[in-house]
Amino acid sequence: MWGRKGMNEHCDLLFQEHFFPQKSQNCCPGFRLGSFKKCLFSFFFFFLIAVNEWISFAPCGCSNPRASCRGRTTQPEEVGSMPGTELLNSKPRIVNPKKECQVDLVFTTDRYNPEEGEERLGKCSARVFFRNQKPRPAINVTCTRLIEKNKRQQEDYLLYKHMKQLKTPLDVVSIPDSHGHIDPSLRPIWDLAFLGGSYVMWEKTTQFLHYYMAQLSSVNQWKTNDDAIDFDYTVLLHEFSTQEIIPCRIHLVWYPGKPLKVKYHCQELQTPEASGTEEGSAVAPTELNNF
Amino acid sequence: MFPAGRSMRGLLIWSVLLGAVLGKEDFVGHQVLRISAADEAQVQKVKELEDLEHLQLDFWRGPGQPGSPIDVRVPFPSIQAVKAFLEAHGLGYTIMIEDVQSLLDEEQEQMFAFQARSRSTDTFNYATYHTLEEIYGFMDLLVAEHPQLVSKLQIGNTYEGRPIYVLKFSTGGNNRPAIWIDTGIHSREWVTQASGVWFAKKITQDYGQDLTLTAILDSMDIFLEIVTNPDGFAFTHSKNRMWRKTRSLTPGSSCVGVDPNRNWDAGFGMPGASSNPCTDTYRGKFANSEVEVKSIVDFVKSHGNIKAFVSIHSYSQLLLYPYGYKAEPAPNRDELDQLAKSAVTALASLYGTKFKYGSIIKTIYQASGSTIDWTYSQGIKYSFTFELRDTGRYGFLLPASQIVPTAQETWLALRTIMEYTLNHPY
Repeated sequence: MWGRKGMNEHCDLLFQEHFFPQKSQNCCPGFRLGSFKKCLFSFFFFFLIAVNEWISFAPCGCSNPRASCRGRTTQPEEVGSMPGTELLNSKPRIVNPKKECQVDLVFTTDRYNPEEGEERLGKCSARVFFRNQKPRPAINVTCTRLIEKNKRQQEDYLLYKHMKQLKTPLDVVSIPDSHGHIDPSLRPIWDLAFLGGSYVMWEKTTQFLHYYMAQLSSVNQWKTNDDAIDFDYTVLLHEFSTQEIIPCRIHLVWYPGKPLKVKYHCQELQTPEASGTEEGSAVAPTELNNF
Repeated sequence: MFPAGRSMRGLLIWSVLLGAVLGKEDFVGHQVLRISAADEAQVQKVKELEDLEHLQLDFWRGPGQPGSPIDVRVPFPSIQAVKAFLEAHGLGYTIMIEDVQSLLDEEQEQMFAFQARSRSTDTFNYATYHTLEEIYGFMDLLVAEHPQLVSKLQIGNTYEGRPIYVLKFSTGGNNRPAIWIDTGIHSREWVTQASGVWFAKKITQDYGQDLTLTAILDSMDIFLEIVTNPDGFAFTHSKNRMWRKTRSLTPGSSCVGVDPNRNWDAGFGMPGASSNPCTDTYRGKFANSEVEVKSIVDFVKSHGNIKAFVSIHSYSQLLLYPYGYKAEPAPNRDELDQLAKSAVTALASLYGTKFKYGSIIKTIYQASGSTIDWTYSQGIKYSFTFELRDTGRYGFLLPASQIVPTAQETWLALRTIMEYTLNHPY
């Protein structure tokens, strides 16, 4: 869930160095870091999955104030077969009912594409803060035992090189295909698409709306030059509570060590009387370094 | 414009096909012309054409008596020249086959399709996703192989006119207490229909072999609706893999389809479904507006003796019981909770797959008009909904390699519920 093997788990030192005790006014304390944003972003995604899991399975308190908190859902437990997350503990706490919602989480992480039998690595604790049912929850997270920095950077660069070798233009249809299959040679494309998708999902998540990335439905453009991979693609996001499939066009630019840039536009749901194509809201392109 | 003898044409096609397969020739753009030679002079002219080797003409029916049709396959590069020749000499002709290759392609497809169709449920591939036709074909095979145990019922027709089938597993009796299982009510949840196919086969294998299943079938019937939303399912194959709803048209809207799991008469109209036809949780204009839903309603009511009802979805790995539309606990909530716990424990025993369980409203979200809320209101005490693998990594696009493990583990949970129902008659 972190993004491809090198992109994951960059964040322990960074968070420890830059997070605490640094406070900031904006909703995402600590995310005003320079060149490490890409990892934060993949970390977020991973984290987001942990949050999603909590919200799906423990709707007490924040997303479903009427239901009482069931003992079972706050006990340490493992979350299904979702790779990369083990939700050890979660304590929802309503700050102001229906206005704000704070969730404390403890979880473990592992590599996005773990080897067979590989041990779980990082241990993290986090606080997620939803304000007034708005998206883009503020997240404060600390991790230990992540992969060390040099190794991460190495793996990042290997990934970059691997992706540069992919022939352009990419002859890509849906990933995964209808039968859930991803060709191993196309795996890095999926991983990078997932990275961009995770950013979009974090931006759209509220205490009531949570997302999964259902499919990479098309690759519009794939350019590599000496500096970066320039990737323009469309993903289908699956929002769980409404069950809607939302196409999002994402434009991502990545080079290891440089700030990740993401712009996106998701399709708006059709109104009952609408017939033609829709113009979305949420059109403003967002860049990670505009946090 | 084809020759009178269809078998003759068939033979010719086959030989061309064989040639194509063996020689790997390409017949794109090749045409087959039927030339009419009115008199001997004209026949001679065609014979001249025959001699021009560079044209590479392939006479299917060579020049003979005047008045006898002459059929010739003309390779694409020679078409203009041949037609010019025929026209210049006043030889009438018609185009019998516009493009030989497309005809060959079509025939090949049919040929392979016939081969791909399984001859028995033992050679059927359970580890892959199938089309509607293949699943319907499978059902017929199963019934043919086990006529004493399995029969196929048609409970209605879909909006687009497809038959809706339910398999009945019965060892006799008259309207015995029964268990209902449905899969594929949401068409994009492909692992469910695939699991349904596997369950059907499993039942026929285990009767007489597995003590529990045998005991169940000796006293009860099992009804299994594998493709509960055939129109939606066909649409996921042809146009949109992510389609969830039915394919009914809504007057006054350009949007298609109703969420069949919001269309039941339980809390219909209450929060937990959408009134916007363009959304994926659109409840429909009124309860049971969808024929796919109404067919089951009619069946359940007229049967009158269903004791357990299980509706299967994906994904999330959950086992749910009523209610979805209200927070008030179901009267036998404790019993349902205990049974759910046993079922998920049995499920996890195989591959360690973890399921959560609870009422719909507490475990996922408020949902009105859902299947098991209605069946529960009809007095079917043991009403459950499953959400199968996974928890979001692949979601609806679960790799085919996971079909059989998913079906195997789910079966253990189903068996637990069925056994409990058998042992707790009411």
